[in-house]
Amino acid sequence: MSRSYDRALTVFSPDGHLFQVEYAAEAVRKGTCAVGVRGKDVVILGVEKKSVLQLQDARTVRKVVMLDDHICLAFAGLTADGRVLIDKARIECQSHRLTVEDPVTVEYITRHIAGIQQRYTQSGGVRPFGISTLIIGFDPNDARPRLYQTEPSGIYSAWKANAIGRSSKTVREFLEKNHKDDLPRDQAIKLTIKSLLEVVQTGAKNIEISVMESYGKVTNLSLEEIEAIVAEIEREKEAEAERKKSRLAATAAGQAAMTTRAEEGSA
Amino acid sequence: MARRYDSRTTIFSPEGRLYQIEYAMEAISRAGTVLGVLAKDGVVLAAEKKVTGKLLDLSGGGYGGSGEKIYLVNRNIIAGVAGITSDANSLVNSARSAAQGHLLSYDSDIPVELLAQRICNMKQGYTQYGGLRPFGVSLLYAGYDEQHQFQLYHSDPSGNYSGWKATCIGANNGTAQSLLKQEYKEDISVKDAIGLVLRTMSKTMDSTTLGSDKLEFSVLTVDEVTKEPKAKIYKPAEIDALLEKEGLAKKDDDTVMAAA
Amino acid sequence: METSFAITGKGYTIVASDTTAARSIVKMKVDEDRIKVLSSHLLMACSGEPGDTIQFSEFVERNIRLFQIRNNYSLKPSAAAAWIRRSLAQSLRSRKPYSVNLLLGGYDTTSHRPHLYWVDYLGTMTEVPFAAHGYGSYFVLSLLDKYHDPEAPLEEGLAVLKRCMDEVAKRLIVNPSAYKIKIVDKDGVREIEL
Repeated sequence: MSRSYDRALTVFSPDGHLFQVEYAAEAVRKGTCAVGVRGKDVVILGVEKKSVLQLQDARTVRKVVMLDDHICLAFAGLTADGRVLIDKARIECQSHRLTVEDPVTVEYITRHIAGIQQRYTQSGGVRPFGISTLIIGFDPNDARPRLYQTEPSGIYSAWKANAIGRSSKTVREFLEKNHKDDLPRDQAIKLTIKSLLEVVQTGAKNIEISVMESYGKVTNLSLEEIEAIVAEIEREKEAEAERKKSRLAATAAGQAAMTTRAEEGSA
Repeated sequence: MARRYDSRTTIFSPEGRLYQIEYAMEAISRAGTVLGVLAKDGVVLAAEKKVTGKLLDLSGGGYGGSGEKIYLVNRNIIAGVAGITSDANSLVNSARSAAQGHLLSYDSDIPVELLAQRICNMKQGYTQYGGLRPFGVSLLYAGYDEQHQFQLYHSDPSGNYSGWKATCIGANNGTAQSLLKQEYKEDISVKDAIGLVLRTMSKTMDSTTLGSDKLEFSVLTVDEVTKEPKAKIYKPAEIDALLEKEGLAKKDDDTVMAAA
Repeated sequence: METSFAITGKGYTIVASDTTAARSIVKMKVDEDRIKVLSSHLLMACSGEPGDTIQFSEFVERNIRLFQIRNNYSLKPSAAAAWIRRSLAQSLRSRKPYSVNLLLGGYDTTSHRPHLYWVDYLGTMTEVPFAAHGYGSYFVLSLLDKYHDPEAPLEEGLAVLKRCMDEVAKRLIVNPSAYKIKIVDKDGVREIEL
């Protein structure tokens, strides 16, 4: 049925699909999960990090990269595609500074990246980039944190919080339920980690967190810091479970008391 | 099912996979083994030669090495290849050009990771545009630069690469990998790494005996006096001598018969 | 009349450049900064055709930065100098070559040594213990031949630099009114006043 429509990208299928673009999105869904959360004056990128194999060099496994002093990017999907796209974006960042003497805005570079991705859905003889990206940063002379997403189709959009990659739907739903506007730094970090824990079962060692607090101020949390926050989240969860249990027990006790009284009454 | 999406490289399957790349990797998993071990004072690279023959003339030592698997890319980088040899020749050529290009621009040896990245970007290109098939080659790069000292990288047909302390590509790489995992120690010296590499090779190679007709071997170190990188690709006679020293030399057929 | 000079010493390189921008006989500006900070440990004093100096130094700055962002480390002074020289040599063979003369001062954080390169618009490059460009160089070079000491601590280096500036003031027909002075050492780049 769709035989001849899913090869050449420049051709729509009769029901209006661009199959290759949709399949590329499928490659993204196979990639590791990445989460972006915007707080009050902070924006955070959290990524699921595949365990580094025993003999592997951890330095060469990078999920969050810097595009310029004030912009970071995380991607999900085909790593090699990611590297190539990132390189193009980095060149644009410097080239923009050279031509107009100003650093790029976050939206500008997002639009640029999305533009490249779009071109690869329409030019002949090429396949789309099999990656989605989350881009965080601050615009020059502006205190508002920014978070954008791009997709293989070339669509880009701004978000308060979002996730891409494996199980991103679950994470996004979690974020929709728990995200509040103007979260302070610590709570935004906690929300990021909490949402990642929805898909990362192995805890802190497979999570990487980058925090951008203002123009050009980026910090990566150490393993110990992430571990501490994970532990805190676990404690809260336990306390919550405990409360639920005691509440259940209380209602059960209440019910039991009522039945005995009723029985006494009937006796 | 897969048939429809595997004929052209630039095509995603409905599950978001690129079959051509996966098939290329399949071809590599049957190629002659290449094994690399990173030591604190050097890197060791060994490879199993599949093309052998009594009448094959190995004295020329084409491509700066002793044959078909290990190449000198730059004075600070050696590469071991597994896969389609002709593709590998082409990649090695590009790698050498990239290294010389860097030397021309920066008057210094190309950093190892930068070279791996260059080759990987090229490999990635062949998976995305041009309507060509991907390169059917995985490489191990053993190198030295001032920034990160000794390094060992692996790159595959998709254009991914990663750094390793010890790794293996080609046939039986699973077995070799687990052997390395057991035996590798942090802070291993080149001397011990040579032994580890040869022992692992002798256990994983299809043939029972190890000799210069089946093995290529190289070591990258830094010269103690000049502090310059020193890449040494062993000549067949040197390999035999080394095997002799490590006690892994080919046993004479007659003595084996006599013992039996 | 632009004058810039630079000296190396024990663990540092000092680069100084006069701050006057002039056209014909008119002083246009007296606070021009001709010394670009290319990376944490690299300085470039750029003199020559006014538009070219800015165009070229910004081009260099962005490319050095791109290398740093791509590779997570900065180019060594020697590698940066080679790249810059090559850019100039390529430009010389183009339709409109850059007409700029450079002094590149850097500190190599891997070998812990200061470096200084003298580069001219023809793409000549040489590593030197001290260097100068412009009319001032006629007086300064002979002075430095006598007084420069590659092992001098920073104070002595600055004293020699002061001597150079005084000599230029004494002999050159148009005295540069002020200098911008930048030092690069193991701690990076800083600007000082003399």
